[in-house]
Amino acid sequence: MNIALEHVSRRFGGFTALDDVSLEVRQGELLALLGPSGSGKTTLLRIIAGLDAPDDVPGARIRMDGEEIDWRKPRPHQVGFVFQHYALFRTMTVFENIAFGLRVKRKADRPDETAIRARVNELLALIQLESVAGRYPSQLSGGQRQRVALARALAIEPRILLLDEPFGALDAKVRQDLRRWLRNLHGKIPVTSVLVTHDQEEALEVADRIVIMRAGRIEQVGTPEEVFHHPKSAFVMDFLGNVNLFHARLEGEAAGEAKTQVRARPHDLEVSRVEGTGSSLKGKVTRIQTAGAAVKVEVTTEEGEAILVEMPHDRFKHSGIATGEQVFVNVKDARVFLEDYTI
Amino acid sequence: MKGSDPGWVRWVLITVALAFLAVMLVAPLAAVFMEAFGKGTRVYWRNVTDPATLSAMRLTLTAAAVSAPLNALFGLAAAWAVTRFEFPGRSLLVTLIDLPFAVSPVIAGLIFVAGFGSQTAFGGWLADHGLRVIFATPGIVLATLFVTFPFVARELIPLMQEQGSDDEQAAITLGASGWTTFRRITLPRIRLALVYGLILANARAIGEFGAVSVVSGHIRGVTNTLPLHVEILYNEYNFTGAFAVASLLALFALATIAAKNILEWRLRRAREEGDKS
Repeated sequence: MNIALEHVSRRFGGFTALDDVSLEVRQGELLALLGPSGSGKTTLLRIIAGLDAPDDVPGARIRMDGEEIDWRKPRPHQVGFVFQHYALFRTMTVFENIAFGLRVKRKADRPDETAIRARVNELLALIQLESVAGRYPSQLSGGQRQRVALARALAIEPRILLLDEPFGALDAKVRQDLRRWLRNLHGKIPVTSVLVTHDQEEALEVADRIVIMRAGRIEQVGTPEEVFHHPKSAFVMDFLGNVNLFHARLEGEAAGEAKTQVRARPHDLEVSRVEGTGSSLKGKVTRIQTAGAAVKVEVTTEEGEAILVEMPHDRFKHSGIATGEQVFVNVKDARVFLEDYTI
Repeated sequence: MKGSDPGWVRWVLITVALAFLAVMLVAPLAAVFMEAFGKGTRVYWRNVTDPATLSAMRLTLTAAAVSAPLNALFGLAAAWAVTRFEFPGRSLLVTLIDLPFAVSPVIAGLIFVAGFGSQTAFGGWLADHGLRVIFATPGIVLATLFVTFPFVARELIPLMQEQGSDDEQAAITLGASGWTTFRRITLPRIRLALVYGLILANARAIGEFGAVSVVSGHIRGVTNTLPLHVEILYNEYNFTGAFAVASLLALFALATIAAKNILEWRLRRAREEGDKS
C-alpha cells in the first residue's frame, strides 16, 4: 500500500510532537523512521496506524493508495502493528495469539477452524517456532516473543506493517539476528513496512529508505547510501555515526571571516608520519584500540583536542604507529554545513 | 537480619505476637460461638431461624447482592477512565474515589438522609411517586454502595496502570471491536483483582453498621440488617440471641478471609508469571 501524509501536525499540550510533516511511504518498501527520542517518530507511526489522530489543521491529509481517509473513523484497511514490548496476550498460547486476528473477524469474513489452523501453522513455520505453539508468552525468550508478535501481526495479511522499536528491548546479538531475519522476511513477503528506531545501524542495515527526524520535523529522506554519504545537515551527519569536529574560519569575499565547523568521519581521516598534501593536523597518538572490525586511533592535537581515526587492520600494521608517537592526521574527506544547529 | 538475633529474642517476639492474636482475635471469636451455643444447639437454631433474623439476613444479602454488580461496574468504569484517558479532573476523581474511606460511615448515612429524606424536596417527590428511600431498602442499598464502592477501583487502578494499554491497542490493530477487546484481553488480565476487590467490598457490605444504622430506622423484620439486629437483641438483653446472630456474621467473615487468601495466593502466582513475561 502507498501511504501519503500531507502537512500532518500533532501537539500534546505545549509539546509539538509533529510539526507540518509530509511523507510518502511507497508500495512494498521498508521505510525506517530514525531519530532521537522525542523527535516524533513514534507519534508519526501511531498516526499511520490509526492509534492516534493528527491535529485538525487545514491541509492535513492522509491518503492510502491515493484515497483520502478520515482519521476520525476506524481504519478501513488492516494494519499490522508490532510493539516494542511485544504486547503478546499473556493469557493465550502462542498459537492463540497468532490466531487472534483471524478469530475476531466478523462472521462473514472469518475463515473456518481448518483454515485458521492452516494459516497459523504456516506462520509458525515462517518464524521457525512450530515447537512452542502450545506455550505461553512468559515461557519464551525475548527474541521468540518478538517473532510471535510479528507472526500475529502478519496473520491478518495486513497491507501495512508497522514496527515500533521492535528490537529495542533485546540483547545486541539477538537484535542483529532478528534484523537480518526481518530483512529476509521482507524479501519473501514484501508488505509495505514502516520501522521506528533510534539505532542508526539498524536503520542503515534494514531499510530501503530512511527518514531522519528531529524535533517533530523531517530532516532528510533517502536511501541508506544517500543519507550516510550525502547528509544534508550537520544533524544528519552527527546522528548517523561518529564525527570529528574541527573549528575553522571561513575565508572569502562572501563569508567575510565567519567561524564555522568542519566535520569528518573517523574513516575519512588518516594517521601518517608524513604530512599530507591537503589539510593536516599535528598531534600525538594517545590511544590505540585494535579490538574490533577496524583499528581506532586517538590522536590529541597540541590544542588538546582529541581526534578519532579509524583504519583497517592491515593498514595499521603496515604503518607501524605506536602510542606516544608524534603523527599527522591527514583529512581525506570532510564537510562544512553552513547552517549549523544546536541541540 | 536473619540469624543475627539471639534465639530468645525470636521466641519472645513470636510469643508476644501469638499471645496478642489469642487475646484479641481467637478468644473473642471462640467466645461468640460459646455464647451463641450457651443454651444448646436447639436454642441456637431457634435464634438463627427466627423470622426477624431471617428477614435481617435477607436484607443484608440483598444489599450485598445489589451492590456487588454495581461495584464491579463502577470500579471498572472508574479504573478504565483513570488509567486509559487523560482528562481534566482526573486526579480529582482519584481522590474522590477514596472519600468513603475518609469520612465516618455515620456521616455517610446522614448525607443520604439529607438528600433523600421525605422532608427534603427530592425525597418528598420520590415519596409522592411511591418510592421511599430513607427507612427503606433503597436507602440501605445506597448507604452500602457508598461505603463499598472504593474497593474495586482501588484494586484495579494500580494493576491497570502497571499493565498499560499495549495489549488492548494490539487487539484493536488486529481488528477486534471494543467489546471483544474488553472481553478477551482486558477482563482476563484483571479478573482476579476484580474478584478480590469484590470480596473486600462484600465483606464490608455485610458488616456495615454506621451508615446503614442512620438510614434504616431499625424497623424489625423490615429494615434491619444483621449487624443492626445484633445490636437490637443485645440492647434487649437477649445475649444468646445476639451472639447467635453475631456468629452468622463471624461465619461470613471467616468465609471471606478464606476466599481472600485463596485469591491472594492465585494473584501472587499470576503476578509472578506476569513478571517473567
